[in-house]
Amino acid sequence: MMRKKQCVAMLLAGGQGSRLGILTKNVAKPAVPYGGKYRIIDFPLSNCTNSGIDVVGVLTQYRPLELNAYIGSGSPWDLDLSNGGVYVLPPYHSGKTGEWYKGTANAIYQNIPFIAQWDPEYVLVLSGDHIYKMDYNAMLQSHIQNGADLTIAVREVPWAEASRFGILNTDENNQITEFEEKPKNPKSNKASMGVYIFTWSKMRKYLEQDELNPNSENDFGKNIIPDMLADNQKLFTYTFDGYWKDVGTIESLWEANMDLLEMPMPIDLYDARWRIYARNPGMPPHCVAEGAKVVNSLITEGCEVKGVVNHSVLFAGVTVEQGAEIVDAVVMPGAVIERGAVVRRAIVGENAHICAGAVVGEETGLIAVIGPKAEIASGEKVAAGVQIDADAQ
Amino acid sequence: MKDVMGLIYTSENDIQLGELTSQRAVAALPIAGRYRVIDFQLSSMVHTGIKNVGVITQKNYQSLMDHIGSGREWDLHGKQGLNILPPFLTRENMGVYAGLVDALNSNRNFLRLSTQEYIVVTNSHTIYNADFSDAIEQHVASGADFTLLYSKKLTSTDVDSASYLTVGEDKTVTGMEISPIVPKTENAYLKVFITKRELLRQLVEQAFANGKHDWSRDVLQPAINDGSLKIMAYEYEGVAAQIDSIQAYFNFNMELQNDEFRRELFPADRPVYTKVRDDMPARYNGEGKCSNSLVGNGCIIEGTVINSVLFRGVKVAKGAVVKNSILMQDAQIQSGAELDHCILDKQSVIRRNGRLIAPAAYPIVIAKNVVI
Repeated sequence: MMRKKQCVAMLLAGGQGSRLGILTKNVAKPAVPYGGKYRIIDFPLSNCTNSGIDVVGVLTQYRPLELNAYIGSGSPWDLDLSNGGVYVLPPYHSGKTGEWYKGTANAIYQNIPFIAQWDPEYVLVLSGDHIYKMDYNAMLQSHIQNGADLTIAVREVPWAEASRFGILNTDENNQITEFEEKPKNPKSNKASMGVYIFTWSKMRKYLEQDELNPNSENDFGKNIIPDMLADNQKLFTYTFDGYWKDVGTIESLWEANMDLLEMPMPIDLYDARWRIYARNPGMPPHCVAEGAKVVNSLITEGCEVKGVVNHSVLFAGVTVEQGAEIVDAVVMPGAVIERGAVVRRAIVGENAHICAGAVVGEETGLIAVIGPKAEIASGEKVAAGVQIDADAQ
Repeated sequence: MKDVMGLIYTSENDIQLGELTSQRAVAALPIAGRYRVIDFQLSSMVHTGIKNVGVITQKNYQSLMDHIGSGREWDLHGKQGLNILPPFLTRENMGVYAGLVDALNSNRNFLRLSTQEYIVVTNSHTIYNADFSDAIEQHVASGADFTLLYSKKLTSTDVDSASYLTVGEDKTVTGMEISPIVPKTENAYLKVFITKRELLRQLVEQAFANGKHDWSRDVLQPAINDGSLKIMAYEYEGVAAQIDSIQAYFNFNMELQNDEFRRELFPADRPVYTKVRDDMPARYNGEGKCSNSLVGNGCIIEGTVINSVLFRGVKVAKGAVVKNSILMQDAQIQSGAELDHCILDKQSVIRRNGRLIAPAAYPIVIAKNVVI
């Protein structure tokens, strides 16, 4: 028997993240490595723990194996609890029914029994696509104070970019009057972050109603929010003004990593009061050899650096041999850069192997991507913007 | 599941470590940039498949308890898992152990209530990353009463604290030298032995009743000499180090710059587990110069670091120079400071332009939390 929880989090982790190309061919987007030792999902999970929310359902669908293994019992995030914790929730069959998650709202709809067993007052909906540190509890308090049915976290984007986002128009009390998806002439610059807090009774009602509508796409943005607005429910915004980065594309993932090399860091990952937890690979400290040169970079445990690393992020267990040069690059766990190889403006996937003298990426132009486990032969050249898939080799 | 349990005796045999162990047991001594000494013995037990591990603690065990906690990092939080065995006072038990015999006798209930047939006993200041399975197999197959592990590669500076084994061709131990001035063999005893749990319990009770304290000197050595027990040897071929003096501690940390040594101690398939701190990766700001060094996560390097080991969260400011030194976690070296052959304990701070230069033969130790 589960004991009652005030708030339960549901993390939508089922998307493929196809704009990340080769990097999400075999893993779900939330499992993509970021920042030298993290995976994207560490941010929402750690935010939950730090916000005191200790029931997290993770809805998986696309390529879940690596993500499931990574979450495991949830112990890295202190989410291995006897009353609560992290639960991986794949789509399932029940008798004659059973189907894939059709949309964001349907994914939650299918897990109504999971939520109901905690008898919560509120449900927090998260996605596994963003890098940010956010106190969900502060948002919850605002939701409660407003007596809201739904609170949507927003950030104020530059007006010029507002037409790229889902924009919320509000009155002076932050009550939402209108929701516009990618408006041509935006009336507000409050962009939805895809972070929602629902009052559970209302959420349940609207999810069940939406499911009965055969024309619905079962999506929060397209269906649930407009339906609630049409019914004059109380919808509020909650403004978040910290660092927030969508890492949905190759370029933005690369940029988000490069952001960590800025001084001061736009997102403080040293903050002892808001740690970002991650599963630890258990490797010895990294080793910088004689003759190596490391400038403006992040280097993680288990690395062996004998070459030059400049303005780059090296994940756990990366080897950089003598004479190799890594500039403006992101090198994921276990990759090997052999002697004399050059990597520039590139993302090198997990356990990829760049052989001696190969050249990956160019000084300008798009980011080159070497897929996980891919091998670049000695002397080979990979141009800017090219993606190399290990399976195609 | 293997029918073997483990026991780690965290001895107080650490006088030569001076300031480094004044506030902690040697088992809890930070080492190799992110570990504590006991991580190596515990991880070896885990890699052997042992699920029931007792850790006999003595004085100064708070930092050890803080480190190993429930044993979760070692996957020892199971039904049997990790058992911390602190000293306690009873009429016949004075709390301070004069040797392994006393320690085992005080904890004979733990031995009695454990269910495994065999037991591996280790000390807490010998470092290796071992899987004891082969040694256990040899022990069972040979029908020996005891199997002692030895190494020809043990690095140690302090001959006083080392023991050596004379081993016959059939692997029988025919002699044991304790603290010899010039050892007759190069077979250094790793202070790891395998035996049957019940046999150990009986011998301990007997030895204790006869007023004995020292396991090697009072039990093993006489038994080898009079042949009353069948004692065999097993050669451990991996790298091993005994941390028995400040110099040994210093040398071991420096040896980790050696690729072969480091890779052998930390093979990819046998990680050394430790308490996780959730630091972000180390950060090199600007043209910070780092060479021939081991650097833990969470460090911020802006100055010069040469031939050194930096634990997690160390800060070396711009213009500071750190050479041939070991900086434990969260130590701070402010700008213009200069260090050579220093061991800085946790959270110590070297202020602006401070200089601490020691000779290679005698590294300076700066105690925890000291600001200079």
